[in-house]
Amino acid sequence: MATIDLNGVMFEVDEDGFLQEPEKWTEDVAKALAGQEGVTELTDEHWKVMNYLRNYFQENGIAPMVRKLTKETGVQLKQMYELFPQGPANSACKWAGLPKPTGCV
Amino acid sequence: MKKFSFTTELPASDTTVAGFLKAFERVLENSNYRSMLDLYSRVSMNCSRCAEECQIFRASRDPRDIPCYRSALLLDIYRNHFTAWGLLKSRIRGTSPLRESDIEEMAESFYHCTVCGRCSIFCPLGIDHRLIVRLGRYILSLAGIAPKALTVSVKEQTEGATRNTSGVPLKALRDNLEFLEEEIQEIKGAAVKFPLDVKGAEYVFFAPVSDYLMEADTLMGIACVLQEAGVSWTICSENYDAINYGLFYNDEVLETITQSMYEAFRNIGGKKILIGECGHASRAASLFMSHFTNSDIPVVNIIELTARLIEEGRIELDPDAIQEKVTYHDPCNIARSGWIVEQPRRILRSFVRNFVEMDPHGTLNLCCGGGGGTVSVSEFKPYRMDIAGKGKADQLRASGAELVVTPCANCKKQISELIAHYRLPMRHAGLHDLLLTAIKLKKADGEG
Repeated sequence: MATIDLNGVMFEVDEDGFLQEPEKWTEDVAKALAGQEGVTELTDEHWKVMNYLRNYFQENGIAPMVRKLTKETGVQLKQMYELFPQGPANSACKWAGLPKPTGCV
Repeated sequence: MKKFSFTTELPASDTTVAGFLKAFERVLENSNYRSMLDLYSRVSMNCSRCAEECQIFRASRDPRDIPCYRSALLLDIYRNHFTAWGLLKSRIRGTSPLRESDIEEMAESFYHCTVCGRCSIFCPLGIDHRLIVRLGRYILSLAGIAPKALTVSVKEQTEGATRNTSGVPLKALRDNLEFLEEEIQEIKGAAVKFPLDVKGAEYVFFAPVSDYLMEADTLMGIACVLQEAGVSWTICSENYDAINYGLFYNDEVLETITQSMYEAFRNIGGKKILIGECGHASRAASLFMSHFTNSDIPVVNIIELTARLIEEGRIELDPDAIQEKVTYHDPCNIARSGWIVEQPRRILRSFVRNFVEMDPHGTLNLCCGGGGGTVSVSEFKPYRMDIAGKGKADQLRASGAELVVTPCANCKKQISELIAHYRLPMRHAGLHDLLLTAIKLKKADGEG
């Protein structure tokens, strides 16, 4: 299992950089993961998406449908890719500390 | 042994030549692949007629990507290790032993192929390279070599709490269905249901479960078509995932997943299995359901059913709903054999005014470049974009279409990534996404 150093703290991650210990997630972790993809500032929109993802995940045990995510946060898909370079699954979920989506996602 | 270009669950160092040969022997003992291998290993495979027909070789120009070169990797091992003549010859002349690097080469090579099957159509000797790749991957997986992205999804589907490849719990499924019903109400102004656990329904519906995360429009389109036409159907809470990665890498997994679909289907007392917009799942269920369950349950793909409903005049489509120039990408798993080629075109031509074909298409189509499970393995993305999908990207651009329609979860993902990667001036959609837009729901208009 690989580890990454985020601001001096070590985290276990999988081969795609998803956190393996979700309980260790903090807002600083999200900032550090975003920084790795070249996003240096997290806006209110970023937090709206990530908070929705975290809450939905805690409630339902999986990320929400993409259409539901865009509808509930008001962030359209195109804008989603501007905020999260690798998209809702591979950037937003990763920064928000959700596990990597599996299957044909 | 050095690592593969994909991540495996077992450390790559645990894979050995002895382990591979043992796995090969086990497969030969427990299957009827030997007759196929006996035939093919006697045939010369040097004509390379397949080379120029393989979009991967055409993009990479790497001789190792020629289909018959790839197949020979496995056939040579069979000849040298599992035939009397081969064993005798190696004793007399001494053959160079199998090395770990040979197994490494096979692992790379068999996952470079998107198992689209196009080469076999052009092979003058009728060699089914797609089957050889499947067998090669099967043996490799028994020796511990298979992409982790596939094996962890399968583990969740066969042993996990959710019993599906994307880990969607039943609670989330219910939440999704409710959300989709609200969305249809909002878009179409009609109450359309997603029936869950209706005993004795004519069709038991299995979508690729990823649709419940990614493809809202496809699912809504399907529900609208089925309800409007008065079809009796249900989703089944015991099993709502059509995906069967066994088709890509392991026959035993293929059997287990096929049987578990059948169990759920039988428990709910349905009459036919209905598979959603998913190429490999449709092919896996239709080819193997009767074989692995000793039953004669009809397996129907949603496109076949929708085409029939349109022909019977059971749904009405608005010919002005889609104004874009539309093309259609054939998913290899349903088109290569000629099974589902005409039906989607009949559907599209019935309401889309501006429809263009790509060249080639239908049974001779080019693969999206993400077939054979490769689309689910994130490590392969650069390869899928620059090599495997290049031919499809060129074809899409040349079509001049503004909208490419494809009824397969696998192709949708790959094509959406190709559109972004090559900045193609088009969008993609599923087939039933368009039907959602075009369908006239009686209840919405207040018509009878």
